[in-house]
Amino acid sequence: MIKLKNICKSFDEKIVLNNLNIEVKSGEIYGLLGANGAGKSTTLNIILGFLNPESGEVRMTDNEDDLEINRDKIGYIPENVNLYPYLTGVENLDYFSRIAGMKFTKEQLKKFLLECGLNEVDFNKSISQYSKGMRQKVGIAIAYAKNAKIYLLDEPASGLDPLSSNELSTLLRKMSDKGASILMASHDIFRVRETCDKIGILKNGLLITEIFSNEVTSTELESIYLKYMKD
Amino acid sequence: MINIFYNEWKGFLRNKLFIFLTSFFVFSLFLVTYLSVLQNKKQIENQEDAHEYIRSQWDEIDSTNAHSAAHFGTFAFKPNTILNSLDEGINSVTGLVLRLEGHKQNDVAYSERSQSLEISKFGKFKPYLIFQFIIPLLLIFLSFNSYTSEVSSGRLKLLIVQGNNINKIVFGKIFTLYSISIILLIITIIIQSLFTFDEFSLDEMIRLFIFFLCYAFYYFIIISLTIFLSIVFKNNISSLSISLIIWLLWTIFLPKTIGNFTENLHNLPSRFELKEEMTNDRSKGIDGHNPSDKRRSELEKEVLKKYNVETVAQLPINFSGILLQADEEYGNKVWDKHFGRVHEILKKQKRTYQISGLINPFASLQSLSMASCGTDLIHHLDFLNASESYRRYFVEALNNEYTFVSTSGDNAYLSNNEFFRSINDFIYVSPKFSLFFHYYFLDALSLTIWILILIFSINYKLRKIVIQ
Repeated sequence: MIKLKNICKSFDEKIVLNNLNIEVKSGEIYGLLGANGAGKSTTLNIILGFLNPESGEVRMTDNEDDLEINRDKIGYIPENVNLYPYLTGVENLDYFSRIAGMKFTKEQLKKFLLECGLNEVDFNKSISQYSKGMRQKVGIAIAYAKNAKIYLLDEPASGLDPLSSNELSTLLRKMSDKGASILMASHDIFRVRETCDKIGILKNGLLITEIFSNEVTSTELESIYLKYMKD
Repeated sequence: MINIFYNEWKGFLRNKLFIFLTSFFVFSLFLVTYLSVLQNKKQIENQEDAHEYIRSQWDEIDSTNAHSAAHFGTFAFKPNTILNSLDEGINSVTGLVLRLEGHKQNDVAYSERSQSLEISKFGKFKPYLIFQFIIPLLLIFLSFNSYTSEVSSGRLKLLIVQGNNINKIVFGKIFTLYSISIILLIITIIIQSLFTFDEFSLDEMIRLFIFFLCYAFYYFIIISLTIFLSIVFKNNISSLSISLIIWLLWTIFLPKTIGNFTENLHNLPSRFELKEEMTNDRSKGIDGHNPSDKRRSELEKEVLKKYNVETVAQLPINFSGILLQADEEYGNKVWDKHFGRVHEILKKQKRTYQISGLINPFASLQSLSMASCGTDLIHHLDFLNASESYRRYFVEALNNEYTFVSTSGDNAYLSNNEFFRSINDFIYVSPKFSLFFHYYFLDALSLTIWILILIFSINYKLRKIVIQ
């Protein structure tokens, strides 16, 4: 689980996050919708421990006293998964897994990639030959192989073709079904509605509203989003 | 860190440009080291032949007047060490041969600029030129974007989330780049050893190790400074530009500026001034060839008293020989005074230049490189002192022969070949490095201080970094 409680953060006196409260339960996919500069990436950076909030707390367990950011549990997938271009998909997964202190056999590595939707023919191609979607899959495989309990995704569908976006949604659902808590920052209303269980709309660092995706259609969600953005 | 090291190497080995550049460097190093070894061997052979020829001339000298033989003189050869092929130091300026003769000490051409300009000019294409000027450039080009590429691609964040520590990432990169420089150094050492292994003494092995160490230290400084700058400026172009400017400052601008500064601080007399002062001082001594000299008559009285005779003609020895030796000894004092001062100034200049290593590690590198190869000023002064000692022994032996074998007025006396053969030849052996190490302690200290400061600065800067 991820629990953000009363998080405040500002840069040069500009408030970026204002008393943010979010909870992503195990097995849940949470979509954080917002325009550029709304505070989505800052939220992710606070969970990752790269930024310290001025106030509030981040918890990753049910234990009220455990406020430690444990990166071992986190799988992070940035907007652009820039891997080592001179390594193949398998080699990149192997390298990042070793850094996380895990050693896998070649067969295990291939299995992870396969489960994350990468075609077998691409395993041994150099990353420089991969499309953005393929790199994204390797990025997810890196987090998956780490056996992460928490997945943080920053604009994961940006630049992906519809098929790749759909594959990404399926993959995230598969991981949440295994008990992972997934927080996905995006401004793609349709993809967030399709992928997430719960959606939070962030505006100028303030969480305006939270909606369950099964209660709205994509069109309704778009109307709600636009209404809040225009207000 | 080992994973980073392994991965970085993989990247280098899969980079065609790197493979091409490294192959080019390895080939150049092989060629230059090999040719330098051959050239040095040839030079050593030529010197040995010349030495042998000069000695055989001396050994075959016909019966002649010993004083004439002192004027005929001989030559002192500064042997080229095996390591001269790596760094010839100041040898190319000072030369390796000194003429030794009676009455005068021939100075090796010391001009005011003999030290500092030599340091910064390009001479023969020797391995040290590749080591001092070209490999650091290669290392700068390999290092400048090593850290920034991880930041700009977002991989740094991913690596940290995967559990890596930023210090491990940066130092992993530094050690990978460092291993490249070490490999290039080892290749040179192997090539050097391969062709000269049978000639290596323990001292030369120690010197080769010191040579390796000083460059290994310097390369660590170059790599970590370039990476430190890339951390500070967070931008490829800025870090590359600043690194190149520093390289230019260290290798070209500062050596000249500090060289000129040390010359002004410890000013050497011009050759003309030195000669004039020496001639002036010498004129106050005994003139062995001038019978009307006042000091000569005092010495004459002293010798007559010692031998208890009334006239020079009654002496059982040749008074001219006594005069010549007295003249020689006075000349030695004049030489000691003036050249002693010149040598002291040169040592002070070197010392001041060495202190500049604290702001320019290249100065410390050069000093240690020449020192390890036995081709720096300190080694050269040792050779000059040894050859002057020999000259004194040589001239005294000839003067004694002239004094004690002939009698006054017997200018027709000729010493035989057996006597000339009995005079020992001048054989100079370069001193052991351990005896001279105290001269270079400051250089080693400067390089160590640079390394420690850079490690501390990188650690400090990394602690302050905010990753977003």
